Amino acid sequence: MISVLVTGATTPVGERFVRSLVADTRVRHVLAVAKEAPEQALPFSHGNRLTYLSVDLGRSRHVRELLFGPARDLGVEVVVHLGQHRSGFDRGRRVHAANVEALRSILDLSDRHPTIRRLVLKSYAVAYKVSLELPVLVREDHPLNLSPRAPQYIRDRVEADLTACARMGLSSFETVVLRCAEALGPGTGSQLYDYLDAPIAFRPMGFDPMVNVATIEDMVVALEKATHGSGEGVFNIPGYDTLPLSECIRKWGTPSMAVPGSFLRPAYNLRHRVTGSEFEYGLNRSRLHLGLVLDGSRARDVLGYVPSHPVDWPIGGPVADPALDHSPD
Amino acid sequence: MPFTPRFVRALTTALGGRSVRDRAERLHFQDAGHGYDAFGLHPDFVALGDVIGKPGYEWYFRVESHGAENVPAEGPGILAANHSGTLPLDGAMLWVDVLRRTDPPRCSRALADYFVPSLPFVSTLFARCGVVGGSRGNAQALLEAGELLMIFPEGVGGIGKPFNQRYQLQHWTKGHCELAIRHSAPVIPIGIIGAEEQMPQLARIPIKGPVPYLPIPATLVPLPTKYHIYYGEPIPLHEEHTPEDADDPEIVRVAAARVKAAVQALLERGLSERKGIFR
Repeated sequence: MISVLVTGATTPVGERFVRSLVADTRVRHVLAVAKEAPEQALPFSHGNRLTYLSVDLGRSRHVRELLFGPARDLGVEVVVHLGQHRSGFDRGRRVHAANVEALRSILDLSDRHPTIRRLVLKSYAVAYKVSLELPVLVREDHPLNLSPRAPQYIRDRVEADLTACARMGLSSFETVVLRCAEALGPGTGSQLYDYLDAPIAFRPMGFDPMVNVATIEDMVVALEKATHGSGEGVFNIPGYDTLPLSECIRKWGTPSMAVPGSFLRPAYNLRHRVTGSEFEYGLNRSRLHLGLVLDGSRARDVLGYVPSHPVDWPIGGPVADPALDHSPD
Repeated sequence: MPFTPRFVRALTTALGGRSVRDRAERLHFQDAGHGYDAFGLHPDFVALGDVIGKPGYEWYFRVESHGAENVPAEGPGILAANHSGTLPLDGAMLWVDVLRRTDPPRCSRALADYFVPSLPFVSTLFARCGVVGGSRGNAQALLEAGELLMIFPEGVGGIGKPFNQRYQLQHWTKGHCELAIRHSAPVIPIGIIGAEEQMPQLARIPIKGPVPYLPIPATLVPLPTKYHIYYGEPIPLHEEHTPEDADDPEIVRVAAARVKAAVQALLERGLSERKGIFR
């Protein structure tokens, strides 16, 4: 029986993960943390096995008070860090504090914490570099996007990922980094979801790269396996569905139009200004042209994670046989 | 009209007939869940490639091949061939020949130069037909999945070779031998006769863009030279070396020289056997 601290608990993935932990007989207590006020968070019944706290993790004092207060008192052994800023357009010091400094504080404090023995970071496939000379099927040793010209959204995610990786083997606790495919769903921060949810999806003419998309259910399974597993490392967490972008758009039911690449940036900038949509072309330019598919062999072999929840496509319907093992290897 | 698999299936059934459809249906590939593999290959588009290649293969270049039984019926393998002709038609003809001469049909996975995935339309069609960007990671993943790689060790240097250097192998890269040893794959040397005269190149102008240079050929369209494809016996580097030997530069260098010599020997055999450039 373990106690688990979950940050970012009010995100769609966080909320589903907290629900699964509360239902898990191997878990003694769940300490769920997010910025939202308690009355707005986690609207489900949980008996006395869940404590929810509203904490601003961007402030190091708050992190200290959390870890050496309630987390110590509850004997938290595993920290699952899901809290990252989800908007691709927000920038600045406060966003950086939420994305990177919060994790740094958790790592520093966990090193001298009396009960924490494992930290799981949900990282993102967007941390990987996409380039002509790099493979389509991406393993964990694939280069990361360290370009200084990358948007803060990506730079923060890469920095957080590397900050956690730098601790592996050097801390008193085990560190697990899960580089996850995008979970298609509202509120997940998925750029692709916002792209598909538009009245029309513009595609770069002449390009149709392969994409891999996940579901919240599969993300929760991966987090569960990482929470209860042992050992440390970096793992790609692919989704069940690997398909071309055009097929993805078609199955989503969004009309699409192939246009010259130079048209895409102004079109999506205009859409953001008019509708406040989240899709930022600058974040997605490479992957609208070049494929990136996560190779989940390592997660399958070490964590026992195999994606098994296909996207419930509005038009295409789920694929024929969900029992098939489609993890690329 | 979007080129959906359903449309392509109807098109290839109408244009290619039963044999093309049969090959597409029997094609072995690793379906990643929606009918495509992780790199974008789709059997219906392979059939489209088969149909597009048919006029060139059967009527224009009248391809004849010898020793196709040397291509392994299953498991990983590396096809290493000479490269020439200004346009990569030798790759296309070899791709069609392997598809037609193997049973069950195998789609050879050509490793293209880095710039190819940046070309609109071409990159998508190539990916659907099994072509992948020439990165080491792509090659490793395909060999581990038991696929058949098509590699032209001369690269762009081969396709852009001047006419007076035809059938003289250019700088021969070694990566294919390193891959073969590391991933226990046999190397099948291949000599392609005919492509080296199809479009004599007078000059090439280096440019900045998706392609490295602009060729200046002597003819506007390729000449209808007759292609002869010679498959040599597999070179079992993987039986003679352990995967760790792939780290030894000398072993890899000697292996690459051996493959190059085998390809050169096939070219000399082909040149001595053919009756003329167009026959």
